Amino acid sequence: MAVVENQKLREINADYEQRYGFHDAENYLYKAPKGLSREIVEKISEFKSEPRWMREFRLKALEHFLARPQPTWGSPLLAEVDYDDIHYFVRASEKAGRSWDEVPEDVKRTFDRLGIPEAERKFLAGVGAQYESEVVYHQVREDLEKQGVIFVDMDSGLREHEDIVKQYFATVIPPNDNKLAALNSAVWSGGSFVYVPEGVHVEMPLQAYFRINTENMGQFERTLIIAEPGSYVHYVEGCTAPTYSSSSLHSAVVELIAKPGARIRYTTVQNWSQNVFNLVTKRAVAYEEATVEWVDCNLGSRLTMKYPSVYLLGERAHGEILSIAFAGRGQHQDAGGKIIHAAPNTTSNIFAKSISKDGGRGSYRGLLEIAKGAHGARSKVVCDALLLDEESRSDTYPTIRISEDDVNVGHEATVSKVGEDQLFYLMSHGIPEDEASKLIVNGFIEPITKELPMEYAVEMNRLIELQMEGSIG
Amino acid sequence: MPEIIEVCPLEDLKPGEMRLVEWEDLEIGVFNCGGSLYAIEDRCSHDNGPLAEGEFDPESCTVECPRHGSLFDLKTGNPKTLPAYAPVDTFPVIIEDETIKLEVE
Repeated sequence: MAVVENQKLREINADYEQRYGFHDAENYLYKAPKGLSREIVEKISEFKSEPRWMREFRLKALEHFLARPQPTWGSPLLAEVDYDDIHYFVRASEKAGRSWDEVPEDVKRTFDRLGIPEAERKFLAGVGAQYESEVVYHQVREDLEKQGVIFVDMDSGLREHEDIVKQYFATVIPPNDNKLAALNSAVWSGGSFVYVPEGVHVEMPLQAYFRINTENMGQFERTLIIAEPGSYVHYVEGCTAPTYSSSSLHSAVVELIAKPGARIRYTTVQNWSQNVFNLVTKRAVAYEEATVEWVDCNLGSRLTMKYPSVYLLGERAHGEILSIAFAGRGQHQDAGGKIIHAAPNTTSNIFAKSISKDGGRGSYRGLLEIAKGAHGARSKVVCDALLLDEESRSDTYPTIRISEDDVNVGHEATVSKVGEDQLFYLMSHGIPEDEASKLIVNGFIEPITKELPMEYAVEMNRLIELQMEGSIG
Repeated sequence: MPEIIEVCPLEDLKPGEMRLVEWEDLEIGVFNCGGSLYAIEDRCSHDNGPLAEGEFDPESCTVECPRHGSLFDLKTGNPKTLPAYAPVDTFPVIIEDETIKLEVE
């Protein structure tokens, strides 16, 4: 059995280039010229026939973006981002299809290759597939629709549910929050709008898949999830792009709102190619007795800067952040999470694991804040780093701010190297060295992969295998 | 003990206008929302940066923090958007003898 398993693993050692790194011919309805201007922003809004308030929102956000300097913290690689060398809007299809047959043939072929329609049939409650700037396919199971669950692309969300969107949009992440949030607010396109009515449990995950095809493309999706009291939803996103020698930019904004007693789980398996800068703002609010969980797996990209956060605003709310980052050659994964306890008896956990290999750099950057009055708050932060060789690097930047006496906070951090003795032990049992390294890595991340839906845990393990071979990107 | 301080003649703060006043080590923004007057501390509860000179919308009676975009309700001092989650201090406004005054403590 083990031999068959190993054989299977070897078979999937096809490299990223073949599995994800391919690109299609560009057969687009519209492709904006490179660079960002008021005209481009107005054009995007006009294309989408948006209400006036959204157009004004975008233009104001553009001013914020232009006025703010590029951040100087995080990673020296940030200096490589050239905002003038990006296409800010590419339209591949007239509208989002509700059956795969409606999706343009070449785009559909891409998603077939990535296995999305098959996954939808097998284990998903709904799927959104975004290609370049816009969603090309969207479907949700009929029984959920009948219960009032809304799962559409964000553009349709604005058109069809303007009142709800206007009430919640940008209340969790305002456009002026940071430079990249301002950029997204100016040029956002696509993403998902999810609304789960009171008491409704969406048992199977909803999935969105984001694909960049064009060279020097910017993808700026915007996702808003609202879970009414006592409801539950699990949203999963995956992302890939072709391998190009020049850069692309992915800068999403994701806002989650968990009303009292609701639970939202948001899982990301980020596997961008190594020419993508992945600079994302993700934030959630959890009201009384609500739970928000971020499960965040970062494997690809040239640079990822992403710190999902949870604001615990209601008593007994719970926040959970599970983060894995794998940094290979030329990569910097600057990941982590933030939890803000702003109400009494709130609880949280942050578990972050990073693996660095072949000179890659993994950083944990986190914030734990306990506000005055949040008595009885409990939190545990654990961040572990595994270095697979001498050239790789790991950094930890934890910030803890506590303004209340009656709290319980634990913080643990470890950095370990795959030791000669561990390898020797496994190899003395007949396991070859590369297999032994993989076993050690799999054991290291297992506490987080076990939280993924089974299909994603399998995919995650495959991706780790590819990373271990040094073949991603 | 509360203290009453003078801001300015009523006619000097027209609808849609804001005026900053200092009292001891406090700075306070006084806003005219369509004829109703409100006063808040000039300090965002998110990172203590100045707040009152942010974008003022008299119609919704809000001010937007210029640093990170939190929107504050001038009537209550409560944030309507993150990243701020704690309210800012508000001060009662009194109009006496055609003069705007604040009750501070």
